[in-house]
Amino acid sequence: MPTWEEKLTDKIDPQLADEISVFETEIQLRKQGKLDEKVFAETRLRRGAYGQRYDNGHRNDGIRSQELKYDSDLTKGPDTLWDAPGMQRIKIPFGGLNPDQMDMLADLAEEYADSVLHVTTRQDFQFHFVHIDDTPTLMRRLAAVGITTREACGNSIRNVTACPLAGICRTEVFDVVPYAKASAKFMLGHPDAQGFGRKFKIAFSGCAGEACGLVNMHDLGGIAVKRIENGKEKRGFALYVGGGLGAVPHDAKLFDPFLPEEELLPTTQAIARVFARLGEKKNRAQARVKFLVAKLGIDEFRRLVLEERKILPHDPRWTSYLANLNRDTEKPLKAPSHLNGQKRPEGFDAWFTTNVYRQKQEGYAAASITLPLGDLSSWQMRELAQIARRFSGDSVRTTVEQNMLLRWVSETDLPALYQELQRIGLSDPGAGTIVDVTACPGTDTCKLGISSSRGLAAELSTRLAAKSYSLDEGVRNLRIKISGCFNSCGQHHISDLGFYGVSRNINNRKVPHFQVVLGGQWQNNAGAYGLALISIPSKRIPEVVDRITDRFVRERQHAESFQSFIKRIGKRELARMLEDLTRVPSFESDPSFYSDWGDPRVYTIGDMGVGECAGEVISVAQFEMAAAERLVFEGQLSLDDGDYTKADAHAYDAMLQAALSLVKVEFMDVPNEPDTVVSEFRTRFYDTNLLGDRYAGSKFAQYLFRRHESPPKEHTQDQAHRIVEEAQLFIEAAHAGHDIIAERRSKQP
Amino acid sequence: MDLQRIGIKIFAADPAPVSVREFIPIFHTWIQKQAVKNHLLIDVHNYSHIHNGPGILLVAQEGNFSIDMADGRMGLLYYRKKPGDGITSILKTVLQACSLLEADPALAGRLRFRTDEIAVLANDRLQAPNNDETLSEIKPAVSSALRNVLPSGNIAISLSSTNPRERFAVRVQTGQSESVGALLSRITT
Repeated sequence: MPTWEEKLTDKIDPQLADEISVFETEIQLRKQGKLDEKVFAETRLRRGAYGQRYDNGHRNDGIRSQELKYDSDLTKGPDTLWDAPGMQRIKIPFGGLNPDQMDMLADLAEEYADSVLHVTTRQDFQFHFVHIDDTPTLMRRLAAVGITTREACGNSIRNVTACPLAGICRTEVFDVVPYAKASAKFMLGHPDAQGFGRKFKIAFSGCAGEACGLVNMHDLGGIAVKRIENGKEKRGFALYVGGGLGAVPHDAKLFDPFLPEEELLPTTQAIARVFARLGEKKNRAQARVKFLVAKLGIDEFRRLVLEERKILPHDPRWTSYLANLNRDTEKPLKAPSHLNGQKRPEGFDAWFTTNVYRQKQEGYAAASITLPLGDLSSWQMRELAQIARRFSGDSVRTTVEQNMLLRWVSETDLPALYQELQRIGLSDPGAGTIVDVTACPGTDTCKLGISSSRGLAAELSTRLAAKSYSLDEGVRNLRIKISGCFNSCGQHHISDLGFYGVSRNINNRKVPHFQVVLGGQWQNNAGAYGLALISIPSKRIPEVVDRITDRFVRERQHAESFQSFIKRIGKRELARMLEDLTRVPSFESDPSFYSDWGDPRVYTIGDMGVGECAGEVISVAQFEMAAAERLVFEGQLSLDDGDYTKADAHAYDAMLQAALSLVKVEFMDVPNEPDTVVSEFRTRFYDTNLLGDRYAGSKFAQYLFRRHESPPKEHTQDQAHRIVEEAQLFIEAAHAGHDIIAERRSKQP
Repeated sequence: MDLQRIGIKIFAADPAPVSVREFIPIFHTWIQKQAVKNHLLIDVHNYSHIHNGPGILLVAQEGNFSIDMADGRMGLLYYRKKPGDGITSILKTVLQACSLLEADPALAGRLRFRTDEIAVLANDRLQAPNNDETLSEIKPAVSSALRNVLPSGNIAISLSSTNPRERFAVRVQTGQSESVGALLSRITT
């Protein structure tokens, strides 16, 4: 019986085949102990093979922390056991798929994962519970249909994303797909992109006004623009650099308002070189290009890139793809047609309203497939591939809202398409509305997850779908995005109603909470980032949604946008109207608050006890922490008022207050003087690593040190926004620090 | 044919008066007790939002269990991921899991499995593509394993689907439905 490798020899690009074989050899070397675990970790990450929750061999089963005794003690990275099943990320440049690729993805999910395909917020697919030994074969089978996992993770250029409507969009300046495709191909494995200290994400958008490309939140982003030069129309990009979400979001800076198309690839290469050369390498928390741009300033960054561009040796690939721009145009499967009085199946009209987009090409439409939590089964994917073959051909897309899109559907086919989708359970309406909640994997599978983002998303979707027909149109069109922690994989910063997971210690038990993030903007390529307002117990988040949306409906003025409404009401009033929801009943009176959505395990370590002395100190500490929370909130209010100096001062004071609360646990009489507080905090918590990396405490400590040592020379909106965000995260780390201290004290004899 | 990645689904008696989400706490309890012999139980995953999908998944190192909803029919599917002792061993594992569920106090006797129809699948398209050739090769092993547990059964095996894109799966009709316990008692290995 031939192996997959032998069977697929002729179908895989030889270079890709070699790379997969190298990886297979590295697996063997690691097994023999001839390859260091850290080196192996980076090499597997660069092939998209990621660790998953509990891969350190421990899991709290709701009663105790249970050791998962795998067969082997071998590790595939620090603290990551060899046998622990992991996640495999699969890059889908610009989200573009054809039916054969869909079939292959379905097969692989079935054979090597758990029969589920998960669409990510960057148009990738992810499989879960994959064993590392299966990954080379999985990669070969993907390569046979033109898909790679290379550089899907690790410190590399990740999936290049683009607006899923590119090429058919009514508002686009031109189709950005050929440029996204060329960028992905040119930079894949490029020698100039191998020395990064952190990942690098690229996105393209066909216009500035719509949300689809989310350029503002990317390391590098291009928005299509045209101008007339010497009487001829010229294509180019408004090029942005240094954007990003993560713990502290940064707005991208305009690098060039019009970068000619032929300069796109060489400029990307030059940026990669500058980033590789000057970007931070040691401190991962400061290693994204956004920090380099912030540190140098956009003008200096631009100067360095342009200098680099001048000395780049010419590469014909920079422009060779431009000759094929028109040849790459998609060809529809069927002739255009119009919906003219055809019989419409039950449910069709609701689906048509939210899920169908009329293309700029007359007589064609694109249909969104609403995927609950971004998931579909292998069977659904295989059936969807067949449906695509029948109705739309090779033009399928994944979207950053974790859905899929069938393009070039001749309009008279829409009722039949709907019925086919109905047959496979993928005809839910509501794509891009409030019921279409986006969530990162959170505590389900991610090592960093704090609260159950998917659990909450499922709960909100179910509740909102049940009343979707009665929802006001202004509410229906809002978006909800949820992250399991502050890292923003669920894109909570750019949604109308955003949430990110935090935990709180209440009566010596941990309670899952979510920070409520308001003020973000999805439109205008992620035009504004929201800020955390208040943390609410996870089980009360549905009430938060109800209260805010009900009030929006009641008090909305004319066609006022949600963002304007939030701004008008003000954070103080919003916090007031939610304040009673912060209360958590005792475990005895309502234990449901002490477990997370969709997970019956007790969220906290149930047997944790706290000594009397520690208990008192923690109580004092909680009082101090409340003061820190108040200060950061004052900072938000000042930011809203445009008083950036005051916002900065409040945020700084909030961090000092939170640090003070920790220091007081050990040194009750510490003078409340900034130099002393910072110095004591550094000595007792940072140098000793007592804050720990579990909650990225060390990283957040830097926010305090930086602000203390280098106060801002000028107070801008950007700076104030950032420090308020940083202060919020520092407070979260301080909360976690208090938990660690309490836990340690409880274990002391 | 040395097939290792084999799965067996035992169907719930129809209609099963149990919500799929009721299995979430049950599987968590199984992990707390490491209730399935020779299996390292790792995690529970809720896929109840996927139409006719894997329902609730209990991930183990050796193989996965799921309250599978394929074709809208609830059943317990177990598929082996690691090399094991063949189809009889897999059948024993899935029947043991069914037995645990039937006896679970949380379900209070509401769940019963039927054994007049069983699905067997091969999760390996290289060795076992979905065609008649694979059927001929795999049929003797499946028949033999089932005759041991249903000696008076009239076993008929047919392809579940002729779609070559699907994974290989057969529908086994046994002609009689005995209790899970009765079948288990006949497995001596």
